[in-house]
Amino acid sequence: MSLARFLTKRLLQGGFVVWGVVTVVFGLRVIAPGDPANVLLPPDVGPEVRQQVIADLGLDQPLHVQYWEFVSGIPTGDLGTSLTTGTLVSHRVARSVPATLELAVAATMVAVVIAIPLGVVSATNRHEAPDYGATLFSLVGISTPNFWLGVMLIIILSVQLNLFPTSQRAIGIPAIFDLLVSAKFATAADGFTTWLWYITLPAITLGTYFTALITRLTRSGMLDELGKTYVRASRAKGLPESLVRYKHVLRNTLIPVITVVGLQLGTLIGGAVITEFVFDWPGLGQVLINSINARDWPMVQGSLIVISVGFVVVNIVVDTLYTYVNPRVGFD
Amino acid sequence: MIAPRTIRSLKRGLNRNVLAKVGIVVVVVVLLVAVFAPLVAPHKPSTQNLENARSPPLGFTKATTEEVPVQDNGSVVFEDGQIVTENRTVYENATMDHPLGTDGNGRDILSRLIYGARVSLLVGFLGTGLAMLVGVAVGLVAGFYRGKVDDVLMRSADVMLAFPSIVLAIALIGVLGDALEQSIPDPFVQSGLAEAFRSAVGLPTGMPESTVVPGTIIIVVALVNWVWFARVARGEALSLREQSYVKAARALGASDGTILLRHVLPNAITPILVLGTIQIAAIILLESALSFLGFSSANVSWGFDIALGRQYQSTAWWIAAMPGLAIVITVVGLNLVGDWLRDALDPGIEGEGGV
Amino acid sequence: MLEDGTSRRRFLKHAGAAAVAASLAGCLGGDEEPTDTDTDTGDGGGDDGDGGDGGDGGDGDGGDGDDELGEFEVTITQGNMPSGLDPHDHRETPTDVVMLHAYEGLITRDAEGSAQPALATDWSRVDGEQAADFQLREDVTFHNGDTFVAEDAAYSINRIVDENVGFASPQSDQLAGVSGASAVDETTVRVELDGLNPIVFSEFATYCDIMQQSWVEDRSKSEIGQEMNGTGPFQLDTYTQDEQVVLTRYEDYWNDPAEVSELTFRAAAESSTRVNQLLQGETDIIVNVPPQEVNRINNNDGASVSAAPSTRILYNAMRYDIEPFSSTQFRQAMNYAIDLESIVSNVLGGFGAQTGQPTLPEFVGHNPDVDPYAYDPEEAERLVEESGHAGVEIELNTPVGRYLKDLEIAQAVAGYIDELPNVTASVNQRDFGSLVDELLTGNIEDKPPWYLIGWGEATFEGALVMTALLSTNGALTSWSNEEFDSLLETAANSTDDERLSALQDANALAHEEAPWIFLNQQFSVYGVSDRVQWEPRSDERIDAYAMSPSE
Repeated sequence: MSLARFLTKRLLQGGFVVWGVVTVVFGLRVIAPGDPANVLLPPDVGPEVRQQVIADLGLDQPLHVQYWEFVSGIPTGDLGTSLTTGTLVSHRVARSVPATLELAVAATMVAVVIAIPLGVVSATNRHEAPDYGATLFSLVGISTPNFWLGVMLIIILSVQLNLFPTSQRAIGIPAIFDLLVSAKFATAADGFTTWLWYITLPAITLGTYFTALITRLTRSGMLDELGKTYVRASRAKGLPESLVRYKHVLRNTLIPVITVVGLQLGTLIGGAVITEFVFDWPGLGQVLINSINARDWPMVQGSLIVISVGFVVVNIVVDTLYTYVNPRVGFD
Repeated sequence: MIAPRTIRSLKRGLNRNVLAKVGIVVVVVVLLVAVFAPLVAPHKPSTQNLENARSPPLGFTKATTEEVPVQDNGSVVFEDGQIVTENRTVYENATMDHPLGTDGNGRDILSRLIYGARVSLLVGFLGTGLAMLVGVAVGLVAGFYRGKVDDVLMRSADVMLAFPSIVLAIALIGVLGDALEQSIPDPFVQSGLAEAFRSAVGLPTGMPESTVVPGTIIIVVALVNWVWFARVARGEALSLREQSYVKAARALGASDGTILLRHVLPNAITPILVLGTIQIAAIILLESALSFLGFSSANVSWGFDIALGRQYQSTAWWIAAMPGLAIVITVVGLNLVGDWLRDALDPGIEGEGGV
Repeated sequence: MLEDGTSRRRFLKHAGAAAVAASLAGCLGGDEEPTDTDTDTGDGGGDDGDGGDGGDGGDGDGGDGDDELGEFEVTITQGNMPSGLDPHDHRETPTDVVMLHAYEGLITRDAEGSAQPALATDWSRVDGEQAADFQLREDVTFHNGDTFVAEDAAYSINRIVDENVGFASPQSDQLAGVSGASAVDETTVRVELDGLNPIVFSEFATYCDIMQQSWVEDRSKSEIGQEMNGTGPFQLDTYTQDEQVVLTRYEDYWNDPAEVSELTFRAAAESSTRVNQLLQGETDIIVNVPPQEVNRINNNDGASVSAAPSTRILYNAMRYDIEPFSSTQFRQAMNYAIDLESIVSNVLGGFGAQTGQPTLPEFVGHNPDVDPYAYDPEEAERLVEESGHAGVEIELNTPVGRYLKDLEIAQAVAGYIDELPNVTASVNQRDFGSLVDELLTGNIEDKPPWYLIGWGEATFEGALVMTALLSTNGALTSWSNEEFDSLLETAANSTDDERLSALQDANALAHEEAPWIFLNQQFSVYGVSDRVQWEPRSDERIDAYAMSPSE
C-alpha cells in the first residue's frame, strides 16, 4: 500500500492508543486514594467551603461526566489545573518538555555515535581484544541500573575530580536559541558550552544502557550478516573488503538494529525520568515524580499523557521511516 | 517437553562458552545467599551502632586530621555565636567485622546486601512468574482464536506499551501505595535453625523473623511486563495453530483448552523461558529503580540503600556503591544465563524490556 | 577547561527558556500569561530573555543612580522551591523565607527573637475591649508605588482569618484568637480578639504578611501566586516556577535599602547536591547541611558552616488511646530505652540538643528543672514488663528527608527499642504529604499509633506548641490529659508569673507522663560562602536584608 494509506492506518491506531492512554490515566486518578480537596484546603475548613471547592474541581459530577470533561479538553490542550499551584498543567508541561528532549536526544546521539562503530569493530575483530572489550562493556552496560551509574559518575567525576557540575541545568537549548535570534552570538556560544558541560554526565548516564544495547545488536547483527552467502560471493567477486563491509553488510545490519532501537525508545524515556531525578534535571520526568509525591493528580495525568503521546508519535515516525527505508518490506 | 536435541544444544553452549558457566555460578550463588540469608549474614541487617557509622570497607582506611566541632552532652558548643572546633585525627579503620563497611547508622553493609538479595530475587521471580502467567494466557488465546478476541487483547497490549514501563510503574505505585505488603515468616529463624547454627559458629543471633515482600511492586511489575510474554506466546500460537497435529486434534473433537495446554504450550515453552530469564533481569532493575525513588515498602532493599547512600557521596561513597555492584553482578549473571539459553535454544528472540 | 562555577549564575537569569516555552504553551492551549513575569516597576529588562548579557555578573537596570550601594548578588539554595508566591497560601518554611523578603508584617523579630516595629510603630491593647490597636508607619509604599494604608492591613488580616474574605487560608490558626480587623483611621488598625489572647502580639511578630487590598482584589488567585507586590526590601524580578525566584533591591524601601542588590532563590532536594553547589561556587547559602558534610565545608577555603539552635522540636508521638502506648509505664520505658545523647552526637554530629519536655529552652514556659530522660535500658525493660505489654511489636512511621536526618533518627530510635528483649520495633517510611494528611484530619483514630514529626514554633511560645500538639482538642494532638488541659486553660487566661508557672507545671507533667519519646531540638545548619557576612537566626528564617559583602 502507499505511504499515505500506511500513515493513515498507523495514525488511526495511534489515535486509538492515545485514547486508551487517556482512559487509563483517568482511571488511575479515580482509584487513587485520598481526597484531592485535601491537597488544596487546610484541614480546619468548614464543610461549605469544602463543598464549594469540590464543585469547582468538578469532582461532584458523575464519573462519565468527569470523564467526558477530561477527554474533551485534551484536543484543545487543556490538561487541567495543578492542585498545588493553581496554574495550567499544560504550561508546566510545556516548560519541561525541552529539558527532557535535550536529554533524550543527547543520550541517543552518544549511544549511536559510540555503539555502532563499537559493534562493527567488535564483529570484525571477533575473538580478539577489541571484541572482548566491547562485549564486556556492553554486557555490563545493560546490567547497570542507570540511577546508580549516575550516582557513581557524580561521585567520581564531579565530587572527587571536579570535572563536571553535580546537577541541574544552567541553560537550555530554547534559551540558546533565543540568544542566537537576538544576534548575541558570543553569549550563545558561551551558553552552548555551558549547556554541554551540564548535560554531559546526565547524557552519559542515560545513554549507557542504549549504547550497550546497540553495541550488542550491531555486533550480533553484523556477525549474522557476515556469515551470509552474498558476502562470500562479493568477496569471491573480488570486491574490496571495506566495500563489502561498510556498504552492504552494514546497511543490512542497521535495519533491524534501528527497528529494535525504535522499540526500545520507551526504555530511553523511562530512563530519562530516573536520570532527571538523579541529576535534578528540570524535565517532564521530574514533574511526574514530584507531582506524584505531592498528590497533584491533574499534573500527574498531564505529564503521563504527554509522555505517552510523545512516545506513540515517535513510534509511528520510527515505524514509517523503517518501512520506508527498508527495501524488502513494503507498506503493508 | 524438552527435546533431547535441546539438551544437547544447551550442553554444547555451556562447554563452548565460559561466560555461560560464569553466569550460572553467579546466579546460583546469589540464589543460595538469598535463601540462606539468616545463616550466612554476618550481622542482623538492622543492628545499628551509631559510634561506628560510615566505617569503610576492607582495604580502605581513612585517617584524617581536621577541625571537628567540640561536643558537650552530645551537642556542639557555641562561643560568641561561633561553633567551637578542635583539631583531631580521626581514624576510620576497616575491620573484618564489617568487610564491606557500615552505613550511616552503623549497620553492616554486607548483611544488608545479603538480605536485599531476597527482595530483589523475590520480586524478580514472582513478578516474572505473574507476568508470564498472565501474558502467556492472553497471548495464547489471542493467537489461537484470532479475530475480535485477538484485536481486543492486542489493542490493550498496545495501550500498555504506550507507556514506558518505568513511567507506568511509577504511576501505578503512586496510586496504589503500599497496600499489598506481605510479611512472610522466615523458616530458618522460626524453626530455630538459624539461632542454633549461628550460636554454634559464633555469629550474633537475633535475625529478623520474617521478610517483608512488597506485594504492590510485584503486581505492578507484572502489569507492566506481561505484554512481552503475550507477544511471544501469541506469535507461537499463530504459527502453531496451523500445524497438522493441532488441526488433527481439533478434528478429533478435543476442546480448545486441551489443545492449548497440551499441544500449543509445550512447543511454545522454549522462547517463553528464554524471555523469562531476560525479564527477571529487567524486573530486578525495575524494582531497584522503584525502591531508589522511594516507592517500595521493603525494609531492606538494594535500590533504597543506594538512595540512602547518596547523601554520603562525598564522605562514604561505599554506602551507595556496594548495593549497586550487587545489582550489576546479579543482573550480569542473569543476562549471561539468558544469552546462553537464547543461543542454544532459539536465536530469534528479541525484545528486552529493560529499565 | 573547567568553567568557573559562576558561569552557571550568569545563565540562571536567562528568561529565554520561559519565553519559548510560553509560546509552546500557547500552541497547546490556554490563554494565561506566561509564568515568567516582569514586575510593574518597569524594570526595563524586557520580556524575552533580555534579562542580562551575563559575563559581568549583572545589569544595572533596577538600581540605577544609586552610587552608595553597589552590586552584591546573593544566591540561596534551599531544599524546596515555593509552590507559589501568595504569602497567605502556604505553611512551609522555604516558602516563608522567600516571602519575607518582599512582604512584611506589622511587627517583626530581630535575630535574637525580640519583637521590633515593622509596618506598625506602636501597638497596645484596647482598654475594656477584646481588641488591640496598631499604629501604622507612614510613608510606606508597595512595590507598585501605592501608599500603604490601614485598609490594606485590615484586609490582609481578614484574608487570613476569615474564609469568606478572599479564600480559606491555611494560615488561619497562626493568628489564633484573632477574629477580624478593621481600619480605625488612615494609620490605625484595630484587631478583634477572641477572649484575652495573651499571645496576640507574638503572633503578629511572626506571621501575617501585609498585602495591598486593591492589588489582591484585582487579581485571580493564580495570578497572585505568580507575582509579588509587598512593602519589603526586595521586589520580584523574575519567577520561574519550581526553578528560581529572582528578587532585586527595592530602592524606595521605608528603611535603609538592602546591601544585597539581587537575590536568587533556588532549590536542590538532595543535601549533597547543595553542598557541592556551595563548594563549586554556584550558590552562597545552603540550608540543612548534614553533619557528615560539616567538616568538608569547613575545610574548604571558600565557605564555612554556621549553625544556630532553631525553634523546631522533633519528637515521636505515641497515641494515648491505643495499646501498648496507653500505658504510661510503657511510654516512659520507650524514653529510657534510647540513648538520646548518642543519637544527637553521632547521627546529628552534635547539631542538635536533647529535649525532655515539649517546650524548648528559648521559649516562654520552659521548665529549667526538667532534664531529658537518661539512657537506662534496664529500667526500660523493667517498665515494659510492669506495663504488661511485654512482647509487643510496634512500628514507627517517619517521613524521609523532611527534617534533618529524620529517617536516620527514626532508625536509631527503633534500633534501640528493638534491642530491648521484650519489644520488637521497626520503621515504616512514609511520604510526608500522606502522613500529614493523616495527622490533620482532626480525628485521633486516623493517626498512626507511633510517628515521628517535627514542629517549628517561630513565636517562641511554649503554650502554642503544647496546645497544638498535646491538648485534647489540639489539631495535631496524640494525647488527652485533664490536668494538662486545665493547666493550659489557666495559662490562656492569665499573664506574667501566674502564666509562666502554669506553663512550667504543664511541661513537668508532660515529661512525667511521657506522651512523647522526646527527641531533639533541631539546629539550623547552614553552609555560607565567604563572600557573604551573615549570622543565622533561630527561627529558621534566612534574611538577606541582614547580609553584607565580606571585606
